[in-house]
Amino acid sequence: MSGGVDSSVAAGLVLEQGHEVVGATLKLWGGVSDSGCCSVADVDDARRVAQTLGIDHHVFNYTDEFNRHVVEPFVRAHVEGTSPNPCIECNRHIKFDVLFDRARRLGFDAVATGHHAQVLEHDGVHELARGADEKKDQSYVLGYLGEEQLASLLLPIGAMKKGEVRVHAERLGLRTWDKPDSQDVCFIEASKGREAFLRQRVTLTPAKIVERASGDVVGETDAAELMTVGQRRGILPGRDGEKRYVAHVDVARGLVEVGRLEDVVINHVNLVESSLSFTHDEPGNRDEVLIQCSAHGRVVRATVVRDPSWALRLHEPARPVAPGQTVVMYRIDEPSIVVGAAIVASP
Amino acid sequence: MTEQLYFDHAASAPRRDEVADAMERWQHGVVGNPSGSHRAARDARRAVEEARDEVAAFVGAKPGGVIFTGGGTESCHLAIVGSTLAHRATHDRSVIVTSRVEHDAVLDAAQFAASQYEGVEHRLVDVDAEGVVDLESLRAAIDPDVAVVSVMTVNNETGVCQPLDGVSSIAMGTVPGGVSTHTDAVAAAPWLHLPTVTASMDLISICAHKIGGPVNAGALVMRREVPLLGVVPGGGQERGRRGGTVDVAACVGLATAVRLTQKELVDVNDRVIDLQRKLCAALSFLPGCAITAPAARKVPGTVHVTFEGVASDEVLFLLDQAGVCASAASSCSSGAAITSHVLAAMGVAPERARGSLRLSMGPETTEDEVDQLIAILSSVIYRLDAGA
Repeated sequence: MSGGVDSSVAAGLVLEQGHEVVGATLKLWGGVSDSGCCSVADVDDARRVAQTLGIDHHVFNYTDEFNRHVVEPFVRAHVEGTSPNPCIECNRHIKFDVLFDRARRLGFDAVATGHHAQVLEHDGVHELARGADEKKDQSYVLGYLGEEQLASLLLPIGAMKKGEVRVHAERLGLRTWDKPDSQDVCFIEASKGREAFLRQRVTLTPAKIVERASGDVVGETDAAELMTVGQRRGILPGRDGEKRYVAHVDVARGLVEVGRLEDVVINHVNLVESSLSFTHDEPGNRDEVLIQCSAHGRVVRATVVRDPSWALRLHEPARPVAPGQTVVMYRIDEPSIVVGAAIVASP
Repeated sequence: MTEQLYFDHAASAPRRDEVADAMERWQHGVVGNPSGSHRAARDARRAVEEARDEVAAFVGAKPGGVIFTGGGTESCHLAIVGSTLAHRATHDRSVIVTSRVEHDAVLDAAQFAASQYEGVEHRLVDVDAEGVVDLESLRAAIDPDVAVVSVMTVNNETGVCQPLDGVSSIAMGTVPGGVSTHTDAVAAAPWLHLPTVTASMDLISICAHKIGGPVNAGALVMRREVPLLGVVPGGGQERGRRGGTVDVAACVGLATAVRLTQKELVDVNDRVIDLQRKLCAALSFLPGCAITAPAARKVPGTVHVTFEGVASDEVLFLLDQAGVCASAASSCSSGAAITSHVLAAMGVAPERARGSLRLSMGPETTEDEVDQLIAILSSVIYRLDAGA
């Protein structure tokens, strides 16, 4: 229970379904924060919701694990010039690894969360599917879950639109019913941003911004680590007046390459072998899938290539994807069902 | 509902019936403002002054030295910040010296003063592996700029007693004219004879809810007149050290709690020390268990242990399910158990500190309860150990 409306309602609904329920809030970030879900005010909200529902509530401290699995890799990835997704890492390592393990040790049968996604079951086989609310769908951040985890996961609000969730919250008398959604990375202060967070921890690298086609230096940045492949914000248009996109970031050499969209688009994505994770069977060579490369990114059709290293051949050109990002694959015949996930490798 | 086994006296002790009864008179109808001049005010003032006499006797000071406060944290804050502000009025530099294992009431007050006032510095003194203040480290921290030295009587997490006589002789002997000394005696009050053990200290903080009194009631007791500025001057109550209308019920509650504590002190010590011995002996057989400090160093009420490879959160959850109220002894304002600064200062490895557990007892704890606790805790630890 993060103290937000979704997990509050999830707790209320599983209780109404007749389960024996205990609320748990994860204390993840020990540092300063002005957003996200770890502030004392949010824990107080979660606790008050549990009291309203009449269930026990516990606060579990995972600050060490969060630092080790989420914050440190986040900082390290920036130093290496890749773009990690901390929310995916948190879901994977904290919520669905450490917490699941604890739930088992403490004698629980299942974990329920307030994610907007659905677990479908046919003949004892579980599938992860998109949430019913397209705008809120979180199947992307859960893409790494396997059968074993899905079998003991309840997602009570996954079949609802956000508006319905709020109606339930009001019906249940939960104080969080009109609480705004959190959007930002929870351990970064919204008022100071990612740059300030990184500067407190590492030295950022000034870099030249270079036109990819001509090699001309067209600008500079004081932090190559903050540039993400595919990014347009903050990049000046070229002499031709057209928009420019980040094509490549080389932190070590202090170089950021930019180009026109047609110069930087990609038609295939390499995958990090060790990161491959599939809900069930892995797709075969030349199987088709739908892929999504960010939380609410565009869905693109792709063919799986295994010759022998793993890649995805896109059926239409797409904006470049930064190494370190996660790509989630969905079924071509059932576009809402997750096949698996992997981390994007360097081109 | 499972029967409740309460082993968290160090967090807050059960409220004594006599305390509630004594406070009752001051919680209904007309309760005069003790600063006033009419009949109702005089009645209230008399109750406050009678309470002051009892608190003074409990600590071993003159009634005029008792400053009623809103609890232990406020008492410590007043001692640290008030001493520093008074020192700062006549000095360019003011140093606050505390041990590393103080309660946050002291550490945060010192940090607050150091960050808010120019020329103020906070120096931390090391402890040994058992959590006892290292007197050589203390000696090294003291110089003529020191405004106040604060070392707790008993540690709230581990129950370990500190060598206050050594602290004060160093504080007195190192600087000509001496320096002010403060001790947070909140965790000591249920167990030790404060007139003896805190005899060498100038300022002593106590609170009521660790000895069966109400929360938001405490006192800073000044044994010898030392420079101290009030931090809430408004109204001039408590001789200008703590402004605001004095809470008669709180003073009466505190006084009743100290009176009963003092009366039972010897008997309770004799009885609970046997329970502590029994509990420690049983726990030492559990897998991965280490007793944090030897019993000879501790007050009888506290048993502090760490379990290797097990998280406090998990132990506390299963204990709670079984009806046992206990604590990891260090938690943040969200309620999450956090790595203890006390254990860190003692050099306890973080893997071990993660599995810390404090079981704290009080006057009404019975042997039967201890037996039940041992059975429940053993099954919890065996279960977690098997699942690891």
